[in-house]
Amino acid sequence: MTTLTRQDLNFGQVVADILCEFLEVAIHLILYVREVYPSGIFQKRKKYSVPVQMSCHPELNQYIQDTLHCVKPLIEKNDAEKVVVVIMDKEHHPVERFVFEISQPTLLSISSDTLLSHVEQLLRAFILKISVCDAVLNNNPPGCSFTVLVHTRDAATRNMEKVQVIKDFPWIVADEQEVHMQEPRLIPLKTMTSDIVKMQLYVEERAHKT
Amino acid sequence: MDELYLDNIDEFVNDHDKIVTYKWLSLTLGVHVNTAKQMLYHYLDHKRKESSAQLHATYLVSGKFEDNGQTGHKVSVVKEDQLEDFKSKMSLVVSVHVYSVQKALLKDSGPLYSVDYDAVKDNLKNCTKFSAIRCASAVPMSSLELQQARQIHQVPAPEPEHKKPAMNGEANASKPSTKPQKGIMGMFASKAAPKNQDNVKDIKTEQKEDTPVAEAPKSKPAAKANPMMNFFGTQTAKKPDKTEKKEEAAHSSSSAEVQRQSSQPEEKREAPAMQPPKDTKKEARSKSKRVVDSDSEEEKMEKKKRRRIKKPEPDSSDEDVIPDSPQQMKTREPSPSPEKEVEPVSHSPSQGNSQKTRKRRRVLKARTFVDDEGCIVTEKCYESESYSETEDDVQATKQASRDPVPAKRPASHKPDEKKSQKKTSANANKGSKQASIMGFFQKK
Repeated sequence: MTTLTRQDLNFGQVVADILCEFLEVAIHLILYVREVYPSGIFQKRKKYSVPVQMSCHPELNQYIQDTLHCVKPLIEKNDAEKVVVVIMDKEHHPVERFVFEISQPTLLSISSDTLLSHVEQLLRAFILKISVCDAVLNNNPPGCSFTVLVHTRDAATRNMEKVQVIKDFPWIVADEQEVHMQEPRLIPLKTMTSDIVKMQLYVEERAHKT
Repeated sequence: MDELYLDNIDEFVNDHDKIVTYKWLSLTLGVHVNTAKQMLYHYLDHKRKESSAQLHATYLVSGKFEDNGQTGHKVSVVKEDQLEDFKSKMSLVVSVHVYSVQKALLKDSGPLYSVDYDAVKDNLKNCTKFSAIRCASAVPMSSLELQQARQIHQVPAPEPEHKKPAMNGEANASKPSTKPQKGIMGMFASKAAPKNQDNVKDIKTEQKEDTPVAEAPKSKPAAKANPMMNFFGTQTAKKPDKTEKKEEAAHSSSSAEVQRQSSQPEEKREAPAMQPPKDTKKEARSKSKRVVDSDSEEEKMEKKKRRRIKKPEPDSSDEDVIPDSPQQMKTREPSPSPEKEVEPVSHSPSQGNSQKTRKRRRVLKARTFVDDEGCIVTEKCYESESYSETEDDVQATKQASRDPVPAKRPASHKPDEKKSQKKTSANANKGSKQASIMGFFQKK
């Protein structure tokens, strides 16, 4: 058993990599399940030894990758509190918010082997839960779009504004109307606890969608 | 059986929002799979009568299925709304049972697999404990047997691998067909190379019997063997066939052989070419019919082109032969019929010239002409042009789309061709954009 601290950046990078990979798969799956884009652009691929749906559209994929590329340094430093995938209707009012609450323990104690296969199993459970979430959610109105918000701790955003992680991909402070939803209903989906990260996924849904 | 299981399933489905498959249920509750299936059926029945929550179910249907006169056994997981439809299409339904019950309407079958994955993984050693499929002789090997099996496996493996790098020196390997290749190769691994030719001939005669076609007996089987071989073979495969072909050099059809070898889809450039004739024997029979039909009429066209390839073949490297061939085959396979029309119009002088010695290529040029309605039309199409360096011509697919267009208007083309030829030569220097503008002014 090795004990690592947050300063051990190598390990922080590993965790950030795992989480960003997972978030990419999760975002694609949310877009598929909630029918934000037509299912024709999605293709079955394999991740964590199970089939998942990923989009083939290059611009969409690039957008998601760029987004997560910028989020990664925040996760590394444990500055990201929540990553939220917001689905908005035509008037840009949020209809659904998939909230991934992430927290990492400051002092990590890991054992070498079992860690990653266990984490894989947990992430697989998340993927499965997202696949069946339409049982608990109402249908979205047509013509929805999506965006990704990141809630950070402290003043991490100030650093983000100074340093543009990806050129021509700026992050701006979100509008009030995107952040807050009218009459939200909270539906918890899944929780996971592991040595390296604790994650919770819940959905905030607007009571009246159409 | 007691009613507790109904509550259990209810809890799983409604409270936990799980997808309950029969396999997962049997492993969770520790019951035989058939019991689990019945449990799910009763639960579904019960809930439907109560008509409380909306439940969805998937079913596993297996039975005999007829497809173009061939009967086969089909096992399928279908959604509930497709069940009756599916059952009616089958000639004999052997079994239908509930596969899973869930609250959510599943868009695809991925989650069904995920559900069982973890359950099976946790019970890996005894995942068949509750299974209905049994085989008395299927017992796990002891460690000693495992070691022996590994040793035996390692000995033939170096042999095909040794050949493999030689074959694939310049080719790309694609995975899907290497697996069947290895299996078949294992069978032939012990045969020596000199026997290759004899086997090729044997296979040729076999194929001849299989697919009767009214053509020169030697050429046809040879032609059949080689297309199959070339689906999977690489350049080195040509060498044994080249030697054969030289033996039969007198026959005109032998050039058809070479043509097929050299210009066949190295689209799929795969595994060991040493055994390609044997390897692809199985695929040969199924594919030979298809290839025969599409290629038989084009053979004459090909002969002319391929003869050219035949001569300098020993000199040219294999890489040069490749560029033109996929282009030809790609255009051929998707659209054999328009090709026949097109080829006399524009292709015949220029095909099959992709070696170092002959420098000719297809160039995208803009042609302007007046069509039937008196409108000026600018068309971009390929015309052959000679040049002094080898270059890959990659735009095969565009050819297929462009060339049928001239084919549709053979009458108006020929007089226009002369006119447009002048224009294109004048415009070639100025670039494609200006060509259209120049065409506008020159017309009149």
